[in-house]
Amino acid sequence: MTKIGLEIHCQLTKLESKLFCSCKANYRENEPNTNICPICMGLPGTLPRLNQKAVEKATLIAMALNCSIPEKIAFFRKNYFYPDLPKNFQITQLNIYGDTSVGGRGVIMVGDKKIRITRIQLEEDPGRLIYEGTSSKNQITLVDYNRAGTPLVEIVTEPDFENPKQVREFLKILSDLLENLNVSDPSLEGAMRADANVSIEGGNKVEIKNINSFHDLEKAIHFELTRQESLHSREIPIALETRHWDDKRKITISSRSKEEELDYRYFLEGDIPLIKIEKDFQEKLKSEMPESILSKKERYVTKYGIPEQVADVLSSDKYYSELFDKSHNKNNAKEIANIITTDLMGLADTREKRELSKLNSSHLTDLADSILSGKLTRNSAKNALYEIVKTGKELSKIISELDLGNVSNEKDLLQIIQQVLAEESQALEEAKSNPQAINFLVGKVMQKTKGKADPKLTLELLKTKLG
Amino acid sequence: MVTEEEIEQVAKFMKIDVHNHKEYVEKVHNMIDFFDILDSAGVEEEEVTMNDLPLSTLREDKHIPFEDKLIEKLKNFKGTYVRAPKMI
Amino acid sequence: MNLKISALEFVEQVKNGNISAEDFVSATIDRIKNIDEKLHAYLQVNSKAIEQASQIDKKIKSGEKVGKCFGMPISVKDNICVKHSKTTCASKMLENFVAPYDATVISKLKEQDAVFVGKVNLDEFAMGLTTEFSAYGPSRNPWNTDYVPGGSSGGSAVAVSAFECVASLGSDTGGSVRNPASFCSTVGYKPTYGLISRYGLISYANSIEQIGPITRTVKDTAFLLNILSGMDSHDNTTIDNGQVDYLSCIDSGIEGKKIGIIQEMIGEGIDPSVLSATNNAVSKLEGLGAICESVSIDMVKYSVASYYTITATEAGSNLARYDNLRYGYDFPVEGFEFNSYISKARTKFGPEVIRRMILGGFVPSAGHAGKYFLKALKVKSKLTKEVSEAFKKYDYLVAPTVPVLPFKIGEKIDDPIALFLVDINTVLSNLTGIPSISVPYSISNGLPIGIQLMAKPNDDKSLLQVARALESTVRLPEVPV
Repeated sequence: MTKIGLEIHCQLTKLESKLFCSCKANYRENEPNTNICPICMGLPGTLPRLNQKAVEKATLIAMALNCSIPEKIAFFRKNYFYPDLPKNFQITQLNIYGDTSVGGRGVIMVGDKKIRITRIQLEEDPGRLIYEGTSSKNQITLVDYNRAGTPLVEIVTEPDFENPKQVREFLKILSDLLENLNVSDPSLEGAMRADANVSIEGGNKVEIKNINSFHDLEKAIHFELTRQESLHSREIPIALETRHWDDKRKITISSRSKEEELDYRYFLEGDIPLIKIEKDFQEKLKSEMPESILSKKERYVTKYGIPEQVADVLSSDKYYSELFDKSHNKNNAKEIANIITTDLMGLADTREKRELSKLNSSHLTDLADSILSGKLTRNSAKNALYEIVKTGKELSKIISELDLGNVSNEKDLLQIIQQVLAEESQALEEAKSNPQAINFLVGKVMQKTKGKADPKLTLELLKTKLG
Repeated sequence: MVTEEEIEQVAKFMKIDVHNHKEYVEKVHNMIDFFDILDSAGVEEEEVTMNDLPLSTLREDKHIPFEDKLIEKLKNFKGTYVRAPKMI
Repeated sequence: MNLKISALEFVEQVKNGNISAEDFVSATIDRIKNIDEKLHAYLQVNSKAIEQASQIDKKIKSGEKVGKCFGMPISVKDNICVKHSKTTCASKMLENFVAPYDATVISKLKEQDAVFVGKVNLDEFAMGLTTEFSAYGPSRNPWNTDYVPGGSSGGSAVAVSAFECVASLGSDTGGSVRNPASFCSTVGYKPTYGLISRYGLISYANSIEQIGPITRTVKDTAFLLNILSGMDSHDNTTIDNGQVDYLSCIDSGIEGKKIGIIQEMIGEGIDPSVLSATNNAVSKLEGLGAICESVSIDMVKYSVASYYTITATEAGSNLARYDNLRYGYDFPVEGFEFNSYISKARTKFGPEVIRRMILGGFVPSAGHAGKYFLKALKVKSKLTKEVSEAFKKYDYLVAPTVPVLPFKIGEKIDDPIALFLVDINTVLSNLTGIPSISVPYSISNGLPIGIQLMAKPNDDKSLLQVARALESTVRLPEVPV
């Protein structure tokens, strides 16, 4: 019986400021140690100032994960020494005096599998370490505290996962959910990290730490399962321990266990009183919560008849679903959904591309309507889309500038057909007997018109010509 | 009963290189013995309480940079990083 | 220049033009130069103090709006941050630490045109009762320089009592403002928890400590409380005091008020002269119309053990940040490994601080928390309940501030438990958050005795009234320095 549990750390990158001070929440653009203040540096005499929105966003996450929310939340100190921890304790949440972390006992479905969420806690991120020096003598650690104090939500699951594939699916669902909720941008480097714990056949639980990406997480879990299975098959007991993921060698290594016997001496953070999360405030938050991905998907399928697979892609991506919701109407919904999930995908699948893209929802509306009205062929629309993303110009302008308009005028089309028939006399002969060969001729017409010929009309006219 | 080993262990956790263990053992031992009086207080049923605050009084989520170049006032290296000993 | 005036008298004199702030501050600096070598209250003197005072004089002359303090010279316990000043907590660990910001109390006083005349001595990191644990040498009691001035705010009490400043800011975690105030015959005030912002106070036990003024008169304390109190967005534990004016109606008296005399604080171990002073004070209070009765608060017996367990735990955590990496003293990191570096760096803490930190690692540890730390928290809860019950019947509580007279320097320093017990009367108000004040009452064999009064949470205005009433019955000799 394989049991895998996760501890996911998600930065609340959509906040403006850190958890306990007014430094920037997103430290990525800063030179080292320029996004700091006396509070996040833990200077003597400073006190934490809790960020109201951080509590709100953490509560939102708890709600979205179907957790129960306590009436009052509390903060605790986790005491240990490390150079990236300015106070040498981390302010975090625990449930040792009843339920005091932001949410608990929630659930997420991964397909048919129920994954239970043990708890959700709000806490601060430490700083970052850089190791310098090659020889043992001149080695030194450089510390950058820009990240220290960044708001983190830790999501702990029960060991309900049975295999790495479920883990992967869960992480996708979770990151889409968090992005949709507008609390975090998971694509930012380091915004989401996860540790895992693994056990097999009722054996000891092994914790794996120091995993830097979701990609590595899967690898680490695979490795650990293999390692445990190998030990098990040789009837060697699996030690209860914490192992580190070695990124270079792609293996898990046992941490020196004596050093790991840390006693965190947890106690209530005296500088932060309990925070009341009143019932009517919870109701207000709930009502303001963005529509869930599942709800969007259902809406797309039932209201607009969009195929499930397409609705899946559309609803699970915030960027796409927002574009869709702003641009569609009853008539062009399916077409827009189609454009987004086929042609747009290649042009806007990364954060960088989306940031540079000049596309807006009205462009999409115009595009879909033009296709539906026959003004543009699908092929031309593809080219137009490329231009729109690059320049942001109005569709009508692009159509005229690039001469993308459909050749749907019968007279013009007939002329071109004549030309093609004159050039392709052999195909013409073949087409008289073999209907499939007509497609070749249609293709040639499309070539001549640079894809602007209306394929349906072209086929009709050709058939007529051939008799 | 606190032993010299226990004192050493705790000093390790608290990251203090206690040289003269004997001196500390005796005094800390006496202090801990003194705390044993808590056992007769009869407070098992008591709850731990704390003041509370409504969510609305908390700090607004705004970025306000600290005016001074704080890092220049602290110990630093290469003008920007804080230097720490090597980690094993 | 007569330095032996109260803060309010100073303000009057400057307002009337009888004295200038510059002259007074200059005379204060001279006084410090003359006697502080003997007393050692000051760790640093502000070389710009006289100039700052003269700036305020200019403001007064030009008719500009002047803050309520009119240039009064105030000293600050060296665990409170003053921007651009060294703030050492009387420790070698913070030898070179220069605070890059002002504590809220400092900003508030600056706004009111106070002049900070210097930083004063304390027990290292505020852990102690005698100021003997300062890494820079002890302070001496001006009433008899062979004796301790009390602690941990010893420097504050000495400076005020010896006229080296008009008032001082101290901090009180278990009696650290009231105890030295009592030993040096000054007024010492610990406000309701949350009344004064702790932002800028270097934490020792953050769940129970408060900054408190040490002054010559009760009215001076009320005056300072008006400036210092109030909600501060920098400190989430501050409370709303309803914009109360602590000075107004301070002389309204105590006719018909009920005062409880805490039995457990005048019991075994009390010095007979302290007991008789207490009885005397009680009869004076009765003479003013109050009804005084004995009251028992059972948890007092356990309060010292609870206090030291809780503070050791919090101190162990609050002092963890001192690893000498970001600030501290000169000690290069090259050639060291992390754990061995910081373990070595932290040996600069004094022995009392080290003892408390070892305790602080022990009592909340996984194997022992239930027996010690959690029990201590429960005693705190029960004590709070018992005190709350008492206040249903009584308006105030009274007891001697310290059960013993000031003792000689060096006398108790090797006996930590004996020292702990000196705190037995004062820790109650820290553990429960209630306000309390020490009023200088009498002198016995040349050594001061203070009487402590306590009130309900946020009832500070009323507490100052009963303190004023008691003070009005007292006529004290002058300090012999």
